[in-house]
Amino acid sequence: MKKLFSLLLCAVMVLSLVACGSKTDDNQTNDEPESTAPELSGTMKVVATGDVYGPLFDAFTADTGVQVECLSMSSGEVLSKLRAEGGVPSADLWFGGGIDAFMSAKDDGLLEPVMFDAASELGDEFKDAEGYWYSKGITIVGFLLNNSLMEELGLTAPESWDDLTDSQYAGEIVMSNPAVSGTNYAVVNALLQAKGDEGWNYFEALNNNIAYYGKRGSDPKNKVSAGEFAVGITYIDASIEQAAEENDLTIVYPADGMPWVPEGVAVFKNAENVDAAKYFVEWLFSSDDHLRQLAEIEQKSGIKVIKPSIEDLELSYDPTLLMTEDLSLFGSQRSEILERFEPLMGDKAATE
Amino acid sequence: MRSAGNIQKNTGKRTSHDVLFSLCENAADRLILLLLLSGVLLFILWPIACIALRSLRGADGGVSFAMFDTVLHQYGESLRNSVFVGLFTAVLTTLLSLSAALCCATARGWRRTLAMLIMLVAMVSPPFVSSLAYIQLYGRRGWITYRLLHLSLNPYNRWGVILMQSLSFVPLNAMFLSGILEKLDEGSLRSARDLGAGGGAILRDIVLPLIRPATLVCLLLSFVRSLADFGTPIIIGGRFSTLAADIYLQVVGYSDLEKSSAMNMFLLVPSILFFFVYRALMRRSDKLTDASRAARGDLGLRLSRCGAMGWGAIALSLVFFVMIVLQYGCVFLSGFLKSTKGVYSFTLQYWRQLWQISASTMLRSIQYALIVSLAGTLFAMLFAYYMDRRRIPGRSLFDCLATLPYMLPGTCFGIGYILAFNHAPLKLTGTAFIVMANMLFKQLPTSTKICTASLALLPEVQERSARDLGAGRLAVLRDVVFPALRPAFLSCFVYNFTSSMTTAGSIIFLIDARRQLAVFKLFDAVYQGDYALASLIASVITVIVLLVEGLAYFIARKGEKRRVS
Repeated sequence: MKKLFSLLLCAVMVLSLVACGSKTDDNQTNDEPESTAPELSGTMKVVATGDVYGPLFDAFTADTGVQVECLSMSSGEVLSKLRAEGGVPSADLWFGGGIDAFMSAKDDGLLEPVMFDAASELGDEFKDAEGYWYSKGITIVGFLLNNSLMEELGLTAPESWDDLTDSQYAGEIVMSNPAVSGTNYAVVNALLQAKGDEGWNYFEALNNNIAYYGKRGSDPKNKVSAGEFAVGITYIDASIEQAAEENDLTIVYPADGMPWVPEGVAVFKNAENVDAAKYFVEWLFSSDDHLRQLAEIEQKSGIKVIKPSIEDLELSYDPTLLMTEDLSLFGSQRSEILERFEPLMGDKAATE
Repeated sequence: MRSAGNIQKNTGKRTSHDVLFSLCENAADRLILLLLLSGVLLFILWPIACIALRSLRGADGGVSFAMFDTVLHQYGESLRNSVFVGLFTAVLTTLLSLSAALCCATARGWRRTLAMLIMLVAMVSPPFVSSLAYIQLYGRRGWITYRLLHLSLNPYNRWGVILMQSLSFVPLNAMFLSGILEKLDEGSLRSARDLGAGGGAILRDIVLPLIRPATLVCLLLSFVRSLADFGTPIIIGGRFSTLAADIYLQVVGYSDLEKSSAMNMFLLVPSILFFFVYRALMRRSDKLTDASRAARGDLGLRLSRCGAMGWGAIALSLVFFVMIVLQYGCVFLSGFLKSTKGVYSFTLQYWRQLWQISASTMLRSIQYALIVSLAGTLFAMLFAYYMDRRRIPGRSLFDCLATLPYMLPGTCFGIGYILAFNHAPLKLTGTAFIVMANMLFKQLPTSTKICTASLALLPEVQERSARDLGAGRLAVLRDVVFPALRPAFLSCFVYNFTSSMTTAGSIIFLIDARRQLAVFKLFDAVYQGDYALASLIASVITVIVLLVEGLAYFIARKGEKRRVS
């Protein structure tokens, strides 16, 4: 036993040495670039909506010598973490996520403004007037239909938002809780803006057909792909197109307009490497090459709407289909709308 | 004369040496105790206190109880749902665990090996993936319900949550129960048989009453665990929501820390009540098995000869084992199947994708898990010993504190760590240490329970006689207590390693971009809807855990043999 015990102690020590060892290694590689880029140094920590942005960050590292570390988190998680951290953020740059979260982070005083010349080329609604956030792309919303289930249930394909309230879809539509999904929040806000006072009646009617509100943004896509529900209200992007191919689904761009939401980029206030993060924002938006690279990675062309002057990039959908939205209301109405939406969904849960 | 003088001198030296040594030993003893207690205070009480304080923060920054009122009104329904699911899950888990434990304890040969193997695999249970497998198997387009039985069922409801929670809680409970069963007094079973009692009567009148306290402990543990579980209701609850799922929603949807903290406080109340019931029950359970612990191994019962109850147990555990095999088979298969227009074909595409997750992430996970399981086991063994055998003041408070992490949803325990450790002088966020500390203390409740149960089998007399024979406190610990805890060491190590490899909720907010873990990649894949990749990561984690467990058993076996010879 004595031997076993000392063996274990040794093991713990060796393992912790290894842990420390790898840490110093990291520091060494981080220190290196200082010589190549005197004005910027160290590491920039990014929270992003996905793991796919490696090539873009590599290009930034090549230009500036700043190493980039990326962690993927949803915007709600980012906001919660920021609030818990109490003004000492663990990351430098926030890359992607619905703009409403960025607006509310700005109101909480959690963001650092960035000003640069090329910002003037961006459309007014795609940047904060004081430079607290910028849009790097837009997410559009449409319907996803499961063909075999539609056929089995004898449903006709919905073509517009108004079609969705038809009683034939009762219990067959799935959308995400607008509180967790920036995309589905955009649906609620945009349709309320478009329909005025009628808006809430619309959502009451839609609610009758909704099976349930998913607690994750990707729920509608996943559930419709798996054949659990016939209709999903979801963001439309390359991953949806892929899912449509794999699982025999149809993508519908609603005829009465697509709600959309800008995806934000912002720098955290009090961040450790605030200079690198600020420069990254400038670096990204000042070069069409970088923006095109980003568009290629995301397989989205929305940046054309944001920065119309960009060349060699065509929008993959008809921009007139985009609904008219006053984005400034996205942030200011958020808590009010969600507060009103919550009991609407809550009734749903109780009627089960 | 000269030699006599020498002897005297030597004796004198030895005495002074002994005094010095025992002083050192006492100091070391105190130091250990101090480290244990401050660890619990710092890494359990302090973060939870931070959550409690946050729940009292009013809109204007002052102290306010308004949030509790809001929560009670708004989430009364969810709280009722939580209790509803908790009760049913607890009952179902206990029934299944009892059946499975009886099967394991009475089965022989290959059946026993197979049952144990399935149980070990099921114990790994990577988060979320089993719920996804449930939908794939029993959903509207489920492999079993739709393709096999041509049914189109809606699996998103409370019963799905109850079933899936139960399935994932059973393995640990069944292991616990079969451990108790093996320690039952063979004598009373034999005398009952000699007096002409049938298998059914023995089961009903002797075995079940004897393990009643342990069964109740199972009920309570499952109840509390179900209250704190948010992963299952999120994925398969559909419209049905529990308080833990709503807390998660508050955190990721509304980012409302005050409200989610207040909701946590509501979860803690039933859990703290549970703790005191648990303690009272455990004490009784110890007494029952303590007196009879000499017997080990075979119960000498055959379930098939135990009447209706025996057959019931066999049937239930068969259902359980088949469901587990289906579930894990489904997880494993999903990693290699690709669907094109709804038709499945075999693919290695996701396997290649898996390799893009750097090997260093996997290795880091293993490394963290090893450190946490070794340090955590040591901590739990020492903690169990000091709480159980030393009458230190306030020990029931510390014991209760060490149980708290079990009762909070993981996400909140993680948030508590950020609230507690993001400011100087306690700035620990962004380090590897805080991630490991979080895992260790999140798992401490169960580790301590395992060690305490094992310690109960060591008569206190043995320690006292060792002390009387002149052994110091540390020597007692090393030569009497630790050897007695050897079986606990193994189960504790295995439990800690498994949990460290698979716990996602509590570390999701603590993880650093530079030090990602495999389970985080899994969470990410589930979140992005990349089920095939998620299944593969889960399969790899399961295989790694099984390999390490196998290695641990092998080493322990070898050590045992050497000791015997």
